[in-house]
Amino acid sequence: MKYKEYEVNENVLYTKTHEWAKIENGKVRVGLTDYAVKKLKDIVYIEPQDIGQHVKKGDPIAAIDSIKASENVYAPVSGKIVEINSEVIEDPTLINRDPYGEGWILVIEVENPEEINELLKPEDYVKLLEKEEH
Amino acid sequence: MMASLKTPLYEEHVKLGATISDFAGWSMPIVYESTIKEHLSVRKSAGIFDVSHMARILVKGADSAKLLQKLIAKNIEKAKEGRMLGPTAFLNEQGGFIDDIMVYKLSEKEYLIVGNAVNREKDFSWIKRFTEGLEVKVADITFDIAMIALQGPDSSKIMKKLSTSDIMDLDFLHFKKEIEVAGVKSFLVSRSGWTGEDGYEIMIPSDSASKIWSALIKAGATPCGLAARDSLRIEMGYCLYGEDIDENTTPLEARYWVFTFNKPPYIGYDALLKKYEEGVDRIRLGIKLKERVVPRRGCKIYMGEKCIGEITSGTYSPVLNCGIGIAYIDSRHALVGAPVVVDIRGKKRKAKIVDFPFITK
Repeated sequence: MKYKEYEVNENVLYTKTHEWAKIENGKVRVGLTDYAVKKLKDIVYIEPQDIGQHVKKGDPIAAIDSIKASENVYAPVSGKIVEINSEVIEDPTLINRDPYGEGWILVIEVENPEEINELLKPEDYVKLLEKEEH
Repeated sequence: MMASLKTPLYEEHVKLGATISDFAGWSMPIVYESTIKEHLSVRKSAGIFDVSHMARILVKGADSAKLLQKLIAKNIEKAKEGRMLGPTAFLNEQGGFIDDIMVYKLSEKEYLIVGNAVNREKDFSWIKRFTEGLEVKVADITFDIAMIALQGPDSSKIMKKLSTSDIMDLDFLHFKKEIEVAGVKSFLVSRSGWTGEDGYEIMIPSDSASKIWSALIKAGATPCGLAARDSLRIEMGYCLYGEDIDENTTPLEARYWVFTFNKPPYIGYDALLKKYEEGVDRIRLGIKLKERVVPRRGCKIYMGEKCIGEITSGTYSPVLNCGIGIAYIDSRHALVGAPVVVDIRGKKRKAKIVDFPFITK
């Protein structure tokens, strides 16, 4: 699925703050959407929270520096950070190159499965992009 | 809010898919595809920047030199036709920067001042303020003339393709009026820029701007946005008005040698001389991080537990592959080579105080 030049992956759910969340057996893998990445352009640094850290939905879970600005990645759901992608820390351009694949950022163990229902479906995320672009 | 101003090249930027944002009241291209690519194209081949937002003010009339002698911190009598004088500055009575500028002597009675976009109206009224009783006319020609900076080691190869005149013979900081570029009579072309690379700044009538912009791209120049312009100038340790210098900063602590003491007093002369003798409390120096994390304006710098300074502008250096920043350091701690830490998002990051430029050219 695509909106303008922005890829919207059909196998993940979305937040209003442009994260994607892939449900995997009680865990969610989190990354930035193609739209977010194309807006940020060159990502040069990423600093996720530590493994074991408990986060609430909407909390910052990683700081990212692009040349232009420093931004946050926010937790799509509450839970414990159980895995961090060390490859994107080594080479943050992976996020630019493959946002839904190798550019994933971290994995959260879901605390409250109800929160998954609050995430946006791909078609609703496309609607959000339509709004943002107007 | 006032509507943002647009340069004559605005539509070109939109066509190229630029990310456009407000800069100093202008809708400017910040980045086209990638700031890193744009940055490296200037370091390795050639890039072009729309710098039409910069202030261009004409000072004309028999007393032009007399007026400017009072206003600028360099000796206007040293200005020669066809040579840029600068960078120099308009200073206030305290020696602080009204603006940092370039001066072009167009003829015996005519000078062009190029200043920062953010200071256009301020510069204009500052000059006007001192014209009483003088035979001088001041005109803001910013909107009549577009300005494109061609920067990078391949700049002269590109100009050679587009210009029939002896453009190649122009020495650094020299300029020529009415040189033809891509079949258009320019206002002037200078060998200059703000990236640390060889290059030209081309001033052309606004209605021909698109034609020349397209010709430069066709000749091999990469369109570059203001984000690349910023990372390029920071790598060289060049100042940006409003970030690294302002009305409360003098050229002394900025180590920005835009002034001379060997001329009749200008506005700010006495304050500057006094400070020169007394010494400064803070000194502008470089901060080089040990990793890619980007120091931003306002980040504090520490030696041990003691805060010794603050970043005024920072970026990621594509050439060095690490974060770099311009900072003001308390003069007792301004030790080039010393290890420091920078507080970025509450974490202390290892860094080093360095001199400019960050990169060796």
